[in-house]
Amino acid sequence: MHLLLLGVSHRTAPIELRERLDFATTGLDRAAIALTERPHVSEAVVVSTCNRAELYVSCDEPPEAMGELRRFLASYHALDQDLLAPHTYEARDDQAARHLFRVAAGLDSMVVGEPQILGQVKSAYGAAADHHCTGPLLNRLFHTAFSVGKRVRSETGLSEGAVSVSFAAVGLARKIFGALEGHDVLVLGAGDMGRLTATHLKGQGVRQILLTSRTATHALEIANDIGADVIPWDDRLSALESCDIVIGATGALEPVLSHSVVETAVRTRRHRPLFIIDIALPRDVEPTVADLGDVFLYNLDDLQSIVRENLARRGDQVEQAEALVDEAVQLFTAWLRSRGAIPTVVALRQRFEAIRQAELKRLEPRLTGLPPEARARVDDVTRLIVEKLLLTPTEQLKALGDAHLVSEYADVLTRLFSLSDDLTDVIGVDDEE
Amino acid sequence: MIALALYALAAVGYAWHFLRRDRRAGRWATACLVAGILSHTFMIGMQTVQTGHVPLAGMSEAVSAFVWLLALAYLYTEVSTDERVMGTFILPLIVGLMLFAAGNAAQPRPPVLHDGWLELHVLSVLFAYASFGLACVIGITYVLLFNEIKARHLGFFYARLPPLQTLDRMNIRAVVVGWLCLTVGVVVGIVWAGQAAAQGSIDPRVQAMSVHDPKIFVAVLCWAVYSFQVIAWRTAGWRGRRAAWLSALGFAIVLVNLLPISYYLTRSHNF
Repeated sequence: MHLLLLGVSHRTAPIELRERLDFATTGLDRAAIALTERPHVSEAVVVSTCNRAELYVSCDEPPEAMGELRRFLASYHALDQDLLAPHTYEARDDQAARHLFRVAAGLDSMVVGEPQILGQVKSAYGAAADHHCTGPLLNRLFHTAFSVGKRVRSETGLSEGAVSVSFAAVGLARKIFGALEGHDVLVLGAGDMGRLTATHLKGQGVRQILLTSRTATHALEIANDIGADVIPWDDRLSALESCDIVIGATGALEPVLSHSVVETAVRTRRHRPLFIIDIALPRDVEPTVADLGDVFLYNLDDLQSIVRENLARRGDQVEQAEALVDEAVQLFTAWLRSRGAIPTVVALRQRFEAIRQAELKRLEPRLTGLPPEARARVDDVTRLIVEKLLLTPTEQLKALGDAHLVSEYADVLTRLFSLSDDLTDVIGVDDEE
Repeated sequence: MIALALYALAAVGYAWHFLRRDRRAGRWATACLVAGILSHTFMIGMQTVQTGHVPLAGMSEAVSAFVWLLALAYLYTEVSTDERVMGTFILPLIVGLMLFAAGNAAQPRPPVLHDGWLELHVLSVLFAYASFGLACVIGITYVLLFNEIKARHLGFFYARLPPLQTLDRMNIRAVVVGWLCLTVGVVVGIVWAGQAAAQGSIDPRVQAMSVHDPKIFVAVLCWAVYSFQVIAWRTAGWRGRRAAWLSALGFAIVLVNLLPISYYLTRSHNF
């Protein structure tokens, strides 16, 4: 059994090509089913996100199967195989496993450590497994990948700290207020950044988003988009009293929140903390507002410097994450190699069992005189002898780490016990194990 | 002694957990703390069996009981909030006070103190002090985190402490619990002293029991500070940094009362 990977990602292909190779829109399950129907392919999982399209399959003849994968990737999307070739990457066995583990850990992502990819890999596997497109090899591979992803997330700081301005703002809000349910947000202006940040805050479960803009029509449109309520521009000062988070994102040339206005609001708020995110350029909030006791004021520069620091910190964690990936690759490869011995082991067991059955049959006339318990005992004892005889050789064979050694041992066993006939029967059995 | 060693181990564990953010160290620290509390409980239990009363009077006994209550109160907050950060700050206090208690030999209990009311008085006051200790530590971490966020320079504490509002709530809760216990303790103390005086006790310490005694005066001052904090919180919405500073101030007074005043100045509580 071998593991193969054929893929395209943000590292090898431009966005235009990746868009054309998207499997998700037509269904990952459909793609996985189509792939398993191809010759030489035993199991298949198709991973497809906006940054990558990857085919993972198990097979017995790697070169033939790889050719099949190349043809599949091109023909499934009606593309020319030669056009695709320079943008794809291929990997086998341990290298393919390493690639998937790095993907699941977020090490291969455009933004290192981003958390969505693990969920995407899980749903890709789920789609394939639901339709019985996976078997022992891919089941093992993907479950190992999930645990690597989880370990990297919990044991390293690879996914810690926001790496976009809007998420940095959300992270700060959570550090100030804890859970954001029950807090209201005021958005000044209807710019893109304001909308993005408000959407993220909405995702954190804030109670209400109030949006106000000097151009009312535009505000209504955006408010519908993000599920906000529009309030008149002049009401923004009274809204400051109830909203704990304020996003300044207008296109105004002069500050729209002056020191004195915020000071008044702070007093009526009875010192509840007020978090002001000023992501407008030029700024919406007078810088001296930061001096007020219960106000946290962050502007675009502040947030960007947080993002830079977080990115640098993630970079420091890469080595640790790679070590976890290494560990998992070694374990998986050892398991994969031990599986090379399985057909031989099964054939050997079948041969021994056949001998046992034949001997029992030969003795049948002499055993008929015995009571049923005694006959059952004979059956048990003979089976136990066979099992004990085979136990040590089986374990030794499975423990061999080297693929060449495994095949040499298998050859010897096949010849010593003339297993070649049994083996041809066994290969088919193997998959169902 | 075993309890002290376990507390010290726990302190190291919490510090390691805090600095390196190593979860395993955190779990070890909690395990050490629990073991420490258990052996401490055993120690107090043995003393109770030996002497026939709960060891509460006398400097070292009171401080030891205080440490025990503080450790329990901290353990409760750790379990209920799943937050180990405070341990880093509480455990050194516990170890320090425990060292102090271990360094002072226990003395026999004077006859005037053989009274159930007294136990309630000491226990509730000590429990109040333990709560104030927690509130103080929480308040200090609040200020540390507040300053980092305010200065727009996110760093050490930002990565390790729970959200500001959570700290604020924990602080107020600890103060309210402590304040209630202190109120009960003071009232019971007054009732007990009144009874002892009415029975014509000739113990000079009973006769010295008035607000003019430094220990009692500072306890009342302490009660006033926390009353102010609770009232300001309820009526004027005093929270955050103000509440945090008040918690720190209050506990500084508590420590002064618990150690130097008990040792040198008081004439009414020098048991």
